[in-house]
Amino acid sequence: MSTPHGINFGEAPARTRVDQLRRTLGRRTEGRAVALLAVVLVVALVMEPLVFSAYPVTLSRVALVGLVALGLTVVILMGELDLSVASTVVLAGVMMAQTDNVALGVLLALGTGVAVGLVNAFFVVKVGINSFIATLGMLFVLKGLAIVISRSEPIPLENITFAIQFGLPIVGPLTPRIVIFVLAFVLLHLFLTRMRAGREFYAVGGNRQAARDAGIPVDRRLVTGFVMCSVIAAGAGAIDTLERTAADPTAGSTVLLSSFAAAIIGGVALTGGRGSILGTLIGAFSLGTLEVGLTLTGVQVDIQQIYIGGVLLLAVMTDPASLRAARSSLRTSLHGVRARSTDRGLT
Amino acid sequence: MNQLAESPTVAAPTAAEPRADGPSIAAKALLWAAERGIVVFTVVLILASVLFVDGFASAVNVADVFHRAAPIGIVAVGMTFVVISGNYLDLSVVAQVATGAVILIGVSNSHSIPIAILVALAVSVVYGLVNGVAVGYFKANAVIVTLSTTYIGLGLLRWLSGGSIFFGPRDGTIESFGDIKLGAVPISAIVLVVVALVLGFLLSRTNFGFVVRAFGSNKEATRLSGVNTPVVVLGAFLITSFAATIAGFVLAAYSNTAVSSMSDGYDFGALAAIIIGGTSVFGGKGSVLRTVLGVVFVSVLTNVLVLSGVGFGWQQVAIGSLIVLAVSVDALARKVSKK
Amino acid sequence: MSDDQSSTVGPVVIEADSIVKRFGGAVALDGVSVSVRAGEIYALVGENGAGKSTLMRILAGILAPTEGTVLVDGRPLEGGTRAALDAGIALVHQELSLVPEMTVAENIMLGAFPTRGGAISRKEMQRYAGAALEEIGVAIDLDEPVSRLSVSLRQFIEIARAVARKPRVLILDEPTATLTPAETDYLLEMLQRLARGGLAIVYISHRLPEIFAICERVTVLRDGRHIDTADIADTTPDVLVDKMVGRELKQDLGVVRESNPGDVVLSARGITAPKVRGIDLDVRAGEIVGLGGLVGAGRSELVRAMLGVDPRTGGDVTVVVDGQVRRVGSYTSAVRHGIAFVPEERRQDGLALSMSVSDNIALPNRRSISRAGVTSPARQQAFASTLADTVGLRPPNVKRDSGDYSGGNQQKVVIAKWLGLRPRVIVLDEPTRGVDVGAKAEIHRLVRELADEGTAVLVISSDLPELLDLSDVIHVVRDGQIAGTLARDEADERSVMSLAAGESMVTSS
Repeated sequence: MSTPHGINFGEAPARTRVDQLRRTLGRRTEGRAVALLAVVLVVALVMEPLVFSAYPVTLSRVALVGLVALGLTVVILMGELDLSVASTVVLAGVMMAQTDNVALGVLLALGTGVAVGLVNAFFVVKVGINSFIATLGMLFVLKGLAIVISRSEPIPLENITFAIQFGLPIVGPLTPRIVIFVLAFVLLHLFLTRMRAGREFYAVGGNRQAARDAGIPVDRRLVTGFVMCSVIAAGAGAIDTLERTAADPTAGSTVLLSSFAAAIIGGVALTGGRGSILGTLIGAFSLGTLEVGLTLTGVQVDIQQIYIGGVLLLAVMTDPASLRAARSSLRTSLHGVRARSTDRGLT
Repeated sequence: MNQLAESPTVAAPTAAEPRADGPSIAAKALLWAAERGIVVFTVVLILASVLFVDGFASAVNVADVFHRAAPIGIVAVGMTFVVISGNYLDLSVVAQVATGAVILIGVSNSHSIPIAILVALAVSVVYGLVNGVAVGYFKANAVIVTLSTTYIGLGLLRWLSGGSIFFGPRDGTIESFGDIKLGAVPISAIVLVVVALVLGFLLSRTNFGFVVRAFGSNKEATRLSGVNTPVVVLGAFLITSFAATIAGFVLAAYSNTAVSSMSDGYDFGALAAIIIGGTSVFGGKGSVLRTVLGVVFVSVLTNVLVLSGVGFGWQQVAIGSLIVLAVSVDALARKVSKK
Repeated sequence: MSDDQSSTVGPVVIEADSIVKRFGGAVALDGVSVSVRAGEIYALVGENGAGKSTLMRILAGILAPTEGTVLVDGRPLEGGTRAALDAGIALVHQELSLVPEMTVAENIMLGAFPTRGGAISRKEMQRYAGAALEEIGVAIDLDEPVSRLSVSLRQFIEIARAVARKPRVLILDEPTATLTPAETDYLLEMLQRLARGGLAIVYISHRLPEIFAICERVTVLRDGRHIDTADIADTTPDVLVDKMVGRELKQDLGVVRESNPGDVVLSARGITAPKVRGIDLDVRAGEIVGLGGLVGAGRSELVRAMLGVDPRTGGDVTVVVDGQVRRVGSYTSAVRHGIAFVPEERRQDGLALSMSVSDNIALPNRRSISRAGVTSPARQQAFASTLADTVGLRPPNVKRDSGDYSGGNQQKVVIAKWLGLRPRVIVLDEPTRGVDVGAKAEIHRLVRELADEGTAVLVISSDLPELLDLSDVIHVVRDGQIAGTLARDEADERSVMSLAAGESMVTSS
């Protein structure tokens, strides 16, 4: 379209509803996650409809993996990583079991999360080291601390009645874990889409220098993000401990990897600035349904891992950018071979 | 990451030289620690351990340090290629080491050792190909790709092995290989040295190593220099897989047993040694020697802690702190020298 | 320049008083003072590394001066970016500083999202952003993510962001580098309009004609020192260039090279790719072929698709190697057949900045330097030093990181690394963009020498004098097609531009 000044500038603003809808959809990042979820649901419907009647199981499975993934998403959106989430889950659980007062325990756990987030942010923001390494260090440190404090033994909770109560549904099939998960999702979603600070997380991840130059307090946003992520992980640790009625210092080894998987399948880009909490939710749902479905069909845990790994590998390799890259690099290699063979033939 | 864009155009060297006051002593110390510190720290740590830690210098203990350092060291030396190529790490080494060990023992029992070695190496090629093609040709993120192959690989291994422990063949060939010693130096450490020498030469003195380093420094500039970059990435992953499988052999020969969980923690453990050695996780900078030093440092430190009665928990805390410390020194040195 | 403009110039708004800035030991600015008045367009010129960008960053509060103060309305400015923004200082960067995944509206309002009751008010955001776009006269869908827009449109969004803050001082760093001539004209006109409204504008550009068209005063910086401040009316481009360079510049314009084209070496037929719609192109040995056209016309896309840097959707490219016709199927085969490519984004694509000059030069030449795949540091060093001398790298220390060098020297390194391959064809995309005047002349000399030695040269340049000066023949690209071909004697700025812009634009230039 043409401005009154005769310069050609991009596309015209969308005029019709359909046009608008198409563009809006084109801007979403959750496409592949939705597709995967649809496939999983359809396959489940055909192979093992039990999955749907067992939805309470699926829900709690999703809430288990998903909660940590929600927090992780916040950090990834800012273009950072937190490898220490699994260790945070464990350490927070151990801290919680240090007292027989549940409320105090929860506070201790969440406090641990705040502290971990602040330490992570300190190294990233103040010292200026990459979050991949800073949180890799913290992965070891926190795991070590959990072992030291617990003396490598599971610590049973004193207040076992409350803990047992906590694992039971409160409304319909909804256990407290599911309610907390849903709450966390809604709050984070609103925060990242509607609140100024949350929206600015995208700028921090998408173009940090631009964010700084525009006067966004980037460092403060980073601190907030890391603390949010760690507190959510700590909360997940507290919930785990309550449901198991004990803190297990050796648990949580797959938490890091599966929460990562949920976010990635959900379309959250590791380069930052692209993705959504909704995507992570859908990613977690896809994985959760897949796991429960496989379990119900009697597939061993080991084989379930193969499926999940396969899905994840497929998800990254079928990314449109990946497919484009593959086409051009394959062409390069093939031409290389052909050119070399003709070279040899002629000389 | 955007430091380049931030750095002012003043970098023109003509302006920099004549009026330079030179960095302060503190900055120099930090720079020195970041660049060469690991050599001195390793030597000092070893000397101090020999002098002050009871039982450290005994033949039995030295052999034990070597045994513990060797397999993860071999993994780390191989993984250095992936790290320097700017692809973060290969998480799937955990699955690869265990697979190598289980195949060596399991297939030796059912068939023969040469067949076992061939099968294991073939499997390592498959790992290298899948990781390398996905990261190199599909440009997929290495963390996610190798996370997927870890899932798949460990799943397959546990499923096929039933998660059971395999004991070495009765004729004891593997076991006696694992028991070979040159003085106090066990065969596993000799394998580490050989692998490090070969891969060190490959990385620092061959065209392949050169393009791996160049690719880690700037992917697009390397591609536009006419390098077939996907092959470079593939090569880096193949080398990592090869080293991981050798590490699996060494690990299996040492105890004459193999189980799918025997290499838990090798992923981040190897990465920790690489980082502590001073290789940059953003690619381009680093060397095999640095990785070996990182492995020696971590192993000696862990051993000293064990000898001093410090538990596993604190050992983990120490390693984690070292990672952060090593990189912080580097970051601070750069910060101070810029100001 | 005209009387009615200077009459609107008001009091001094922003003032830099004896600014000194050191980075470590290096002195970037050494006692520089400038003062800009309301309603004035003030030019800052100097070679790369002269300190323009550093001064600009200090004015905008991004960097703190080592000594000296920035005064706004006579009061010292302290407190970084935030304080500068609050004081009404807006900066339009050279490197685009937009967030690709955010919408146009969000980018314009970045850092100043309007909120209501804690939540972002979408309506307010649309209103403010729309008003800013209207003020600069650009219409675009506010909900479009910026990642989908053209580079020049992004530049205007950047300006809209600055304008949305109702600034009192607007600083622009090379705002026209990525714009077409028509867009440039539009921008300059817009800046004059904004200045008439009382805005103080600091304008940084390499392009002297623009400065003489709109600015009232100019300050020349060299090596971080303040060389001169003059009224535009009292100076000439030649005087400014002498002051910028600080030495007698050998005038290379107008040197006509004896061109003696041989056989066709590089031949492209029916090239199609995104933004390229069926182009045929031949380059002969010893010939310099120029590609003219507006930014976004598809020139870079054309050469990248031709060489296989980016995938092409159709067409064939061949290169003659020792009398044999070879297909160029991929970029690696292009390089193997002796085609060299100097990309547009030198810092991102041309060099590994954290590697030494020696390593960078060795990279494409590794096969000839090594024996049986084993490298030799001594041989590499000698090889790189020879080539660094050939291109005139200063200082000629090949062990230094290439990132330590200025833009012009970096470009010499990119050229040097290809010279070792004795390329049959060299393709240069904007070889002197952002390069200082001295290095530019040297790069031109190198390009001519290559052609004299029989290399087929293909040059893209948006710098018209450069294009006219270098090329034996110019193909003008418009809208992904060759709009016309001009021989050396028929090409001038007017003929190239009218082809580039198409009929409708001829009247406006």
